[in-house]
Amino acid sequence: MEERTRKMTGRFQMDSVVVDFGVNRAIDHVTMDIQPGEIVGLLGHNGAGKSTILNLASGAIRWTAGSVRIDGQEIANGSTPRDFSQAGVAVIHQEPSLIHSLSVFDNMCLGHRFSASMTNGRKRELVSSALADLGIDVGIDSPAGTLTIGQRQMVDLARSTMSSSVRVLLLDEPTAALGAAETEELHALIRKFASEGTSVIYVSHRLPDILDICGRIIVLNTGRMIMDSPASSLSLQDLSNALAPGLKKTAKVAPEHIGAPVLDIRMAHGEVHAAKGEVIGLFGMASGEQFSLAADLFGLGSPQERDEASFTLADKEYAPANPVAAIRNGVFYVPPDRDVEGLIADFPAKTNILMPWYRKLGSSWHVSGNFGEDMYRQCREDLQIIGPDGETPIGQFSGGNRQKHLLARWMMPAKADVLVMAQPTQGVDIGAKDDIVRAVRRKAGEGACILVASSETDEIVSMCDRAYVILGDRVLEYTGDDLNDENLLQGLLSLAHIRSGGKPASTPDSVSAGAVVNAASR
Amino acid sequence: MKNLNLGRLKILLAQNGIFLAMIIVALIFGAINPRFLSAGNLLTILQQIAELGVLSFPVAFVVMMGCADMSVGSVASLAAVLGGTVMVRTNSIAFGIIAALLFGFVAGLINGVLVAYMRLNTFVVTLGFLSVWGGLAMFMTNGATVTKLPMPFLMFGSTKVIGIPVQIIILAVVIAAAWYLLNRMAKGKEILAIGGNQRAAYLMGLNVKRTQMLVLAFSGLFAGLTGVLLTAKLGAASPSVGSGLELQALTVVLLGGIAFEGGSGRISGVLAGLLFVGVLQNGLVILGVSAYLKTVFTGAVLVIAVMLDKSIQNIIKSAWKDVIAHKPGDAAQPAQETKEAVTDSEGSAATAESSADSPAAVGTSADLPGSSLPAAAVNK
Repeated sequence: MEERTRKMTGRFQMDSVVVDFGVNRAIDHVTMDIQPGEIVGLLGHNGAGKSTILNLASGAIRWTAGSVRIDGQEIANGSTPRDFSQAGVAVIHQEPSLIHSLSVFDNMCLGHRFSASMTNGRKRELVSSALADLGIDVGIDSPAGTLTIGQRQMVDLARSTMSSSVRVLLLDEPTAALGAAETEELHALIRKFASEGTSVIYVSHRLPDILDICGRIIVLNTGRMIMDSPASSLSLQDLSNALAPGLKKTAKVAPEHIGAPVLDIRMAHGEVHAAKGEVIGLFGMASGEQFSLAADLFGLGSPQERDEASFTLADKEYAPANPVAAIRNGVFYVPPDRDVEGLIADFPAKTNILMPWYRKLGSSWHVSGNFGEDMYRQCREDLQIIGPDGETPIGQFSGGNRQKHLLARWMMPAKADVLVMAQPTQGVDIGAKDDIVRAVRRKAGEGACILVASSETDEIVSMCDRAYVILGDRVLEYTGDDLNDENLLQGLLSLAHIRSGGKPASTPDSVSAGAVVNAASR
Repeated sequence: MKNLNLGRLKILLAQNGIFLAMIIVALIFGAINPRFLSAGNLLTILQQIAELGVLSFPVAFVVMMGCADMSVGSVASLAAVLGGTVMVRTNSIAFGIIAALLFGFVAGLINGVLVAYMRLNTFVVTLGFLSVWGGLAMFMTNGATVTKLPMPFLMFGSTKVIGIPVQIIILAVVIAAAWYLLNRMAKGKEILAIGGNQRAAYLMGLNVKRTQMLVLAFSGLFAGLTGVLLTAKLGAASPSVGSGLELQALTVVLLGGIAFEGGSGRISGVLAGLLFVGVLQNGLVILGVSAYLKTVFTGAVLVIAVMLDKSIQNIIKSAWKDVIAHKPGDAAQPAQETKEAVTDSEGSAATAESSADSPAAVGTSADLPGSSLPAAAVNK
């Protein structure tokens, strides 16, 4: 009986939904029931199944078993995104899907079925009022490409509100590319929707954002729901425990192995120091400043941006103009997205590792046919790479082994002084992660200084000797036993509070910034 | 290794399909008219396509790099009339050749600078210069052909070394050099890397811009050389001598299995494409097909080849899966790959869907729609 009434009231319901991708279960019997006006935060690691839930709730993928209902109405499996949109589902993506060269008006009209007799003037009125309803102040004739990302997200949303009333609002990392002010605006708008009865599912890596706005929090782990409770009853400790995957810490390097200081990073409100033989973590938000620092170290940022941080490498000013200069200085970089920025999918696996080194380790004029055979064999051994032979295109390897190839490129053939890695274990399974952590530790043991930039605490905790939490130009340092998942997350929160001017936290168990800073100081 | 590896065989066949097609077409022509397969005619075919070949291999590198060079035809034309005019005026063959080659190199360099350093679209830039140089060639000569070239130069066009026409020897040298560049020099691999993933190539510390500029400059240089060779063969420098060559070269390259998107390519493929065009054009003439229909056939063959190429790529992809699946002595591997695919499949539903039919999760990264790009944040 009680079960039935719940089904009557729930606005968005998933009942024991399973999603299989081939033999892999991405979503494992997830049941959720979201009331009108509820804002639910969806948390979990990469691979936990957050995106899969959003994808099935917006019609991008089918599910294997279970049912999905909106206002008690069952949605047929295999419904298209259009069907879901008609049922009242709207999605805000991290990157809104507008066509940059078209005007706001044209973008809003795309895919919208006006009645044939409607005049252009009437269409413009409709579009303008849809925008005005959301409080968006943009010229409807300006090209979408000239808007900020925040504005584009809003236009994208207005497009869906124009065709149907929004009953379920899905947000996929909406604030990843937004500034503080835009985030505020977005949150205000979400609250407005919720107050009108819209159910909101909010996916974000940004814990502070989730805590700021969500009344209820659901945590996923490898496709299963491991926590579902009101935000007010959750302490930071609970959240940290739920998010920390419990990967074992590896043995840290003994202090006597730590060599001479080699790299200093100076920012307005903090410094980062790294020595040879150390593995240093740079922890921050998803697409946070730790990643731009990592890219800057490899000469990728624009010069103006780099003014915010200055580098000293081996007691000399270091401001690489491009990757060529960085490599010449012994600074190597593993980019965060292995497939887009790292590997060349159609190239043989072996070539993908050797590519930067033909000229430097071999010769420009003659590279023998079997150049690098031994090196490649060594790489596979050291990183425990499995899969087909080295002549096979790298695209045919599994994700973990692709990542290992990318790491091998920068770890094995030549010796780095400073090796910067962005998300080195992203999207790889536990086994491969262990192999990577061991290889990184070994490399540090040989005297390399290794920086790991990440927004996942376990990545930092599992392989680093020391770590810095970075937000904006502020830095906190953690070392020894203080370096754990909870401290990193709390440190990030405390920095977020400092940045937002000491605004009261929305969780009862919030830590005062001062306490963390004290705990972190050596 | 007792078991014949069927997957590898398939890949080999798919990659060399154009060779097979060329042989089949040649046999058909031979069956209709035995004269076609005579040694003399085969040598004629080579001689007919020599200049096109000299041009096609540099253009192949341009395409491998992910660029295009539509200007080569006009560069050849202007190089021809420029070289011819200089020869007539100075009565020096050397000056004429140097002028032609220098112009070709400079024209290519201009393309290179505009494409690599000003980041202009390679297709648009080179198409623009196709008009510019072609028009200038006509303007310089008022549309007339430059004649009365020095005698020794005209003799050169019909020179034979141990019975082999000099054009064929030059073509052989170009092929050998192209093979060496692609397979034995760092630069060759870098060119492919830039075509395969320009961003990744840049992040490897490769000098992407300089490489792009140089490859386009050399494409121009060889277009200049082609103009000189054609002038020598025809005995006069016509301002339209190179017209249409850019499309023919592109046809050869694409027939040779080089993807228009860049990143892949083999010299043997380009050679096969070149021979195919040679066999087809010569065979049609021998069969008495109208010369006007020659281009019709060539164009149709190109479209068919591109159509086939798509299925060939699929064959290669699935064949790689066979190779991986049947690799002996790696029994433990599929289980491991499956495990990884769990974490691997989350980010984008499309990937997961595309790999749904293969538990090994071997969908290539190129198929990924860029769902979320942390990269964008890093280099904002």
